[in-house]
Amino acid sequence: MGEILVELRNVGVAFSAQRRMNDHRFWALEDVDLTLRRGQRLGVIGRNGAGKSTLLRVIAGILAPDRGTVKRGPVSCQLLSLALGFVPHLSGRDNAVLSGLMLGLRRRDITARLAAIHEFSELGDFFEQPIAAYSSGMMMRLAFSVAIQVEPDVLLIDEVMAVGDAEFQQKSGAALRARMGEGHTVVLVSHDETQIASLCDRVLWVEHGKSILEGDRDEVFEAYHRDLHLVPTPKA
Amino acid sequence: MRQHLIELVLFSTYAELRAERARSYLGLAWWVLDPAMQMAVWWLLIHVILRAGGPDYLPSLLIGVTLWQWMKSCMIHGGYAIWSNLNLVRQVALPPLVFPVVAVLSDTVKFFYIFAVLLVILWVSGYPPSWAYFGLLPLFVAILLLSAGVGFIIAAMVPLLPDLRFVIEQVLNVVMYLSGVVFMLSNIPSPLREVLALNPIAVIMDAARGILMHGLWPNWVGLTKASLIALVACALGAFVVARLAPRYPKLAA
Repeated sequence: MGEILVELRNVGVAFSAQRRMNDHRFWALEDVDLTLRRGQRLGVIGRNGAGKSTLLRVIAGILAPDRGTVKRGPVSCQLLSLALGFVPHLSGRDNAVLSGLMLGLRRRDITARLAAIHEFSELGDFFEQPIAAYSSGMMMRLAFSVAIQVEPDVLLIDEVMAVGDAEFQQKSGAALRARMGEGHTVVLVSHDETQIASLCDRVLWVEHGKSILEGDRDEVFEAYHRDLHLVPTPKA
Repeated sequence: MRQHLIELVLFSTYAELRAERARSYLGLAWWVLDPAMQMAVWWLLIHVILRAGGPDYLPSLLIGVTLWQWMKSCMIHGGYAIWSNLNLVRQVALPPLVFPVVAVLSDTVKFFYIFAVLLVILWVSGYPPSWAYFGLLPLFVAILLLSAGVGFIIAAMVPLLPDLRFVIEQVLNVVMYLSGVVFMLSNIPSPLREVLALNPIAVIMDAARGILMHGLWPNWVGLTKASLIALVACALGAFVVARLAPRYPKLAA
């Protein structure tokens, strides 16, 4: 087994409900345990509002836990965010550099990858135009092309699997699957069980802010499905 | 990590300036036209309509207003920077101090354009350059540190208390009138003058006028004191931002 990169013990995160005096807090995460080892591809499943995205932001180091402990080795954990820091009046090229820097790339790494970003985005001459002139599809293509260049030690993905028109969706999905298959450490949050089943080898099941079960993919899925069928889902 | 942050800050500053230039038709020209128009209004009011203040009043006013504009924009833009970037703060693990630093740097770049206009106006109105101009260097450092420090402190609070935005500009207006921006300390009667001279901004304004109008070196004791206050403000601001940093990603925009 690979070394432990990230370890969460009894982690809880509380949010304030609204900006008012003496409002009460609610716990988006209550008690989560998680162990992530190098090379693992961990899928996180759970119903809506179970705290999956909050958990991802804790692993990324964006949110600090209000209780429990997070141990992170000397590794970079990056949430795959699209169009991070994009500025409308700047060219596609400048935005690629800016977004790449925000995503943790060094300047020289981005410069070295600009050609690949340009190529992958299929933007042609528009690459030098302000992105304010882009269609939303073009914007997403640029955003994805930058994000896929980022190579953190731990890649965190929250439902962004495929963007753009049908053709680019296929291409971006394939690029992402290729990235996940390269032996990187990945944490993937998704509603789509088949996606998790095909891309991950380990699964963490989260419910109401608590980790229910973490383990081998098939084992966790089996328990999850048993639970779904035994316990009727509460009506919203 | 640190080098990466420096690269991020520098490129963000470039991006900010570049984007601002692109937002209007005249772009870069506004950085000069805007203060020039403001100076013209002061000239009209003081020199033509009121005929007040004596021959040295207008240049001293222009120096005061130019420097204050720099300080105020750093304090306000820096002060709003974390709040207006909360969407980024929620998505990426960056030290939030990055945002006010970028705001202060880009306002400082813009200030140098405006300062060039001021210098030209001073030279043609009979206030030539002198060796004392070298005194501008420590003076500018003091101004930068002071504005950044106040900007950081405001930046730390605004995300948690957005209502502050409605008060800050008014407070800064009061600060301006108490800091010898629109009047000269030397024209104030004695007990009040000593009190006002405790204000680091007033000391800075005085030193700037001495350098630019009379070729006088700054009062080093006063400037050192002002710089120390500025340093303390900077350190305090950076500390408060770092201290409150865990709370920002949880805030709704």
